[in-house]
Amino acid sequence: MAHIQEEDRNYLTKEFEKMVNPVKLVFFTQKFECQYCELTHELLGELSELSDKINVEVYDFVENKEKAEQYNIARIPAIVVEGEKDYGIRFYGVPAGYEFSTLVEDIIDVSKGTTTLADETKEALKKLEKPVHIQVFITLTCPYCPRAVRMAHQMAMESELVTGDMVEASEYPQLSNRYGVSAVPKIVINENVSFEGALPEANYLEKVLEGEGASKKS
Amino acid sequence: MDGLMFSLKKEDDSVQLDDFYDVVVIGGGPAGLTAAIYASRAKLKTLIIEKEEIGGEAAATDMIENYPGFPEGINGHALADRMVEQAKRFGAVVYYGYPTNFDFSSQPKTFQLEGKTISAQTIIIATGTSPKMLNVPGERELKGRGVSYCATCDAPIFAGKDIAVIGCGNSGLQEGLFILKFVKSIKFIEFLPTIQAEKILQDKIQAHENTTCFVNHQVISINGKDRVESITMKDRESGEEKVIPAEGVFIYVGLIPNTDAFKGQLKLNDWGYIVTDDNLMTSVPGVFAAGDVRDKGLRQVATAIGDGAVAAVAAEHFVESVQQKKK
Ligand SMILES: Cc1cc2nc3c(=O)[nH]c(=O)nc-3n(C[C@H](O)[C@H](O)[C@H](O)COP(=O)(O)OP(=O)(O)OC[C@H]3O[C@@H](n4cnc5c(N)ncnc54)[C@H](O)[C@@H]3O)c2cc1C
Repeated sequence: MAHIQEEDRNYLTKEFEKMVNPVKLVFFTQKFECQYCELTHELLGELSELSDKINVEVYDFVENKEKAEQYNIARIPAIVVEGEKDYGIRFYGVPAGYEFSTLVEDIIDVSKGTTTLADETKEALKKLEKPVHIQVFITLTCPYCPRAVRMAHQMAMESELVTGDMVEASEYPQLSNRYGVSAVPKIVINENVSFEGALPEANYLEKVLEGEGASKKS
Repeated sequence: MDGLMFSLKKEDDSVQLDDFYDVVVIGGGPAGLTAAIYASRAKLKTLIIEKEEIGGEAAATDMIENYPGFPEGINGHALADRMVEQAKRFGAVVYYGYPTNFDFSSQPKTFQLEGKTISAQTIIIATGTSPKMLNVPGERELKGRGVSYCATCDAPIFAGKDIAVIGCGNSGLQEGLFILKFVKSIKFIEFLPTIQAEKILQDKIQAHENTTCFVNHQVISINGKDRVESITMKDRESGEEKVIPAEGVFIYVGLIPNTDAFKGQLKLNDWGYIVTDDNLMTSVPGVFAAGDVRDKGLRQVATAIGDGAVAAVAAEHFVESVQQKKK
């Protein structure tokens, strides 16, 4: 049974006409002990059927260890949305529920190589000096989460130093526990700065800069 | 991850702000979106400003069963998405941001958005409400550490755990049904001697064996070091205090209107809700209020959208009268 409904397929086929350059969805999976790997794999397959500009590359997390290391993949299922280069966009966990739109929007952005961030944000990101790792913990039914993930991914596109992870909290209980996630969206920046909830772009950026600053000192 | 679906948002987020609008709607919940549908369809230049996420409280509700036209019920987020699509179809623009410095004293009205001054012939306030806090020790400290006000956001994180829901009104029970898809058990705690929610919701909850209900109990504190561990409550009849274990607490004890930004400029009632006339005009001509934020009897999606329509048509008349005066 197809996961993407007929009506949505038609919509997506049109949406993907906006694509400029090809996009590679690099997928890391494992045969065992991964509840949502298969579902994620099927979903990506269905997406790639909707545009000849979308290609899926599949790697086994264990057998293709070098690839996992090359992309710095921490766990599975993982998706890298790669365009002309690897911008640092990561999905950990199945991009279902409200996050399905996030994946679709990311694909189009990456294909065009542009984001909708404000000019001030882009300028500020250009001035970053240290790597910034943004982890956005979400659940698939949280209406405020997609915006928080998109922000991280768009920032990753605008700066070589930024990596943006979507992390589906219930699929990685240990990781969620480590960061004390019990409300989402929870955004963790470089281990030392975190916040909860949907922040407007300017305030989100402030936190990112704060996270970078804190790691400069250390 | 029960009922895993692939939900698709069919809207474009990138917009350019102009300096002047016929109608500016503050708040993108059902009331604001309906107002925008009517206003933009009447060919008024319409902007909706949303500070958080389009759809408002409705978008954070898993299942809305009493909104006409959807006999099987509809997911609140999906309903909101349809309203946005409809408003955009007629030309309304949605902008994500936080408007400040409202000045209603002159015509047109003005406010600030992202450092820009924007003028509006009319303003429709549809800022809705926020969940009320319980105001007990531990609540503020443990917010985001087990204390939650958004079940659709946080319930999946409590998979397999024992949790509590405070408040047995319609919201508490409705959200309880969603939470039950994930958790091991729910203890419902209600201050009043009887459950206030609709009978149909009570029956649905009671059909689940892993629910217990404590009526006539007052929550004294929420306890835990870094995370919620338990709740202390008092039996209001016997005065006996009990501690019940819970790893999460979802609180549904009422609403507070989002009217801080307008205090001093508009007539509010004793609880902070905006007072309007029959056409939903506030104490300031050209400023209207719609939905949960105004002083009214029933706060539901069905009444919010009715308000949105009334306010938009009244705004349209106001814009016409201003234009006539100019001639
Ligand atoms: C848990 C729960 C369950 C519910 N279940 C049902 C149900 O089953 N059936 C039903 O009919 N109703 C239900 N309701 C009620 C229903 O959700 C509301 O009546 C309805 O959403 C009100 O719509 P609104 O547009 O007036 O306000 P809201 O939906 O609250 O929307 C207001 C919007 O304004 C935004 N906002 C606030 N301040 C500002 C600002 N300063 N600037 C910009 N934007 C701002 C907010 O972010 C929000 O998006 C439920 C409510 C809750 C809380």
